[in-house]
This record gives sequence, C-alpha cells and structure tokens, in this order.
Amino acid sequence: MKITVRRSGGLAALTQIWTVEAVTIDDKRRWMPIVEACPWDNADARSAANQPDRFMYAIRAGQRRATLPEKAVTGPWQVLVENAKTEGQESRRR
Amino acid sequence: MICSIVPPYMLRKLAAQDEPRLRAVARAAKESLLHIRSLQAARALAAPATPPGIRQAKPGPPKRTIYDAGTSEKLPGKLVRNEGEAATGDAGADEAYEGLGSTHRLYAEVFGRNSIDGAGLPLDATVHFGRLYDNAFWDGRQMVFGDGDGQIFQRFTKSLTVIGHELAHGVTQHTAGLVYRNQAGALNESMSDVFGVLAEQFLKQQSAEQASWLIGESLFTEQVQGAALRSLKAPGTAYDDDVLGKDPQPDSMDGYVRTSADNGGVHINSGIPNRAFYLVASALGGRAWEAPGRSGTGHLQVAPCRPPARSAASPRRRRPPPRSFSAPDPQSMTPS
Ligand SMILES: [Zn+2]
Repeated sequence: MKITVRRSGGLAALTQIWTVEAVTIDDKRRWMPIVEACPWDNADARSAANQPDRFMYAIRAGQRRATLPEKAVTGPWQVLVENAKTEGQESRRR
Repeated sequence: MICSIVPPYMLRKLAAQDEPRLRAVARAAKESLLHIRSLQAARALAAPATPPGIRQAKPGPPKRTIYDAGTSEKLPGKLVRNEGEAATGDAGADEAYEGLGSTHRLYAEVFGRNSIDGAGLPLDATVHFGRLYDNAFWDGRQMVFGDGDGQIFQRFTKSLTVIGHELAHGVTQHTAGLVYRNQAGALNESMSDVFGVLAEQFLKQQSAEQASWLIGESLFTEQVQGAALRSLKAPGTAYDDDVLGKDPQPDSMDGYVRTSADNGGVHINSGIPNRAFYLVASALGGRAWEAPGRSGTGHLQVAPCRPPARSAASPRRRRPPPRSFSAPDPQSMTPS
C-alpha cells in the first residue's frame, strides 16, 4: 500500500509531499490500523474557506483519498499525517 | 430581461391598442413600459457616494494584543503585549506589534478605515505558533505567525508585507468576501499582496519606482536562492532554488494555472492581478497608496453588490479556456 500526504497552499504555496510504501507484512500491520482509523467518507474540505493561507492536505492511502484543510487534520488524521511526515520519503513538487 | 428586447417605441404602440383581441398584448406592453421606466429611474440615480471607509470615518487608534503560543498550536496563547505596553524584547512579538501598528496606520490615514472591520476591531496576533512552523495565516478572527524551520524560512513576522498581507485577509473577509478558491481566491490573495506591499511602501514613504514590490523579503534563510516569496513587479521571478524550484507565478491570463492544489492555485494565479496593480501604479507614478491604492479599497467595498468573479459553488462546470488578458501598457496610459 502506498500512502502519500501532499501539503499545498500556505502563504508561500510551496508544495511538499511525503510518501510511504508499506510493502512488508510488518509495514502493513503497522499502517493498516492508522489508515483504517481515519473517517475517509466524512473528510470535509469546505472549512478552508475562512482560514486564508492555511495549508491544505491531500491524503491518499491505496484507493482511498481525502482533501482536508490543516484545521481538520486532527485525531486519526493527525496520527496518519505525522507518521507519514516522520517516516515518509520527502519531496517537493517543482 | 424581455423588456430590453422589444424597443420602447413598439411597446408604446402596442400599449395604445384598443382592439379586444389585442387587449392582453396592450396590457403586457404597459407593464413592460412601467418596468422600463423604473429601470431608467434607477439608472438616472446618482452614482453611489464614496463607500464608507474611504476618507469618511474617524478611525481610532489600534487596539493590539500579541499572544505567544510557545510552539504549541493552541490559539490564542499567552498574552505578552497589550496596546501601549513596552516592548517585550521578543523579536517576533515586537515585530508583530509594530507591523500591526504600521498596517493600521495605512488604513486609517490613507483610506480612513477604522481597522479590519471599519469599526475598530481589535488586532489580535499570535506568534511562535507551532514547532518550526513554515507559515502565517488569518484564522477568521486573528493573525497567526510561525517561526519557520530555520533551514528555508525564518520567522514570518520579519517582513511587514506578510503582516500587512494577513491583516488584509481580515479586511477582505469583512468587505468583498471573495471566496477562497480558484479565480475569486486569486483575487483575494492579490488584495492581500497589494495591501501588504502598500503597508511597507507607506512606512518607508517609497514611490512606486523606489519600492521592491516583493512579498516576504528577508523571510528566506541565506541558504535559499531567492529574494522573496513573490514579486508583484515581475511575478515568477521571486526565487529560483535547487530545493524549492522556481517561483511558479504567471503574470498574465495566458499563463493561468489550473490545479487542485492550493485551493485552485490561489497563491499562484494571484500573480496576474498583482502584476496588473503594479502596472497601473507604475504608469501613474508617485506613491502607489494614493490613486491606485484607493481604487483597490473602492473595489473591496463595491464587490459585495456584484456576483463573485467565480464562485466556489460551481467548480465543476465546464468553461471555455480563459481569454487572453493583456495588461495595460504603461507607455500608453496617461496619468489622471
Ligand atoms: Zn494570503
């Protein structure tokens, strides 16, 4: 399973991407509960409207995807994002 | 509107019909004529007076409060400096205090606007937000500034243009209310960039020619190859760095970027109206906060009466490709 966290926007609008490849059984065993804990069907991007310059997060895990304003990256989303930032391969989109 | 399609002289002829079979037509024609008269009356009304907020109100002094989040992400944080209190000795807190004062002065002295909402709204700001936080934002009620990661960014209060930019988001929220997505969002961003540079130019008393027209000068560390985050004078040239890549801003509609990132590229396509503002200001010459800046605040006031440039309500509708936009040629413009 491939997990990508793409952070865009912000005052400087520099897009940063963190990618995790959960390949081994151990990886999957660790990442599956983190991914499953997120409310993928209820992700809500709309609350970005009243917070200009805040980061936007586009998150993918396998076939699942969600777009969230930074303000909504809490609870299980925060766990997923923080883990991806810590362990993922970091890149920037030019 | 049907009333405009049938010319009034024809409506008058129809309205005068007496024949029974034409009675319904005559009645409809009379109604249309009445409607036209009300439209003409509306058009004949004098143009609305100068919108409130432009040289009318008597702005009061600022009411600043600076908070310190102490690298947490809790807002507002601990109060560190109230209006009128002595400097704290903390660079971020004092820069925020001074920057809010300078921006408040621009709105008060040049535009006669009493703070963000025109009614003396207190100016609240939090510094030291988050850990190595590479950003600054307006949360709908207050300004928030991060310290930067130290590798690419230094603290975000270092540039007055950034403080002015964030405060202007509050002004836009209380006036034009431009939707923060796609083209309306790019206009929203551009308004903040314009008032950000004007705050700096006003403080330094610089002419359009003397000014740098840069947003976020001195924010990058020395490791970054770049002058600033954006350039209103030359969008797309603010930085070109091995790690960050090149400034992606277009300077005309020919380069309009369609993207799902950044709320539809609001910080990218803002280069287009930014460059337009610069061209007008440099063609008029002198101080940009005078004629061009005033027309900017005028637009913020008038905008709510009109439909938004592009609303976020219909992002999926197919649209023809954007028409090419040619910015005014400074040589051909005459100062008024
Ligand atoms: Zn902004």
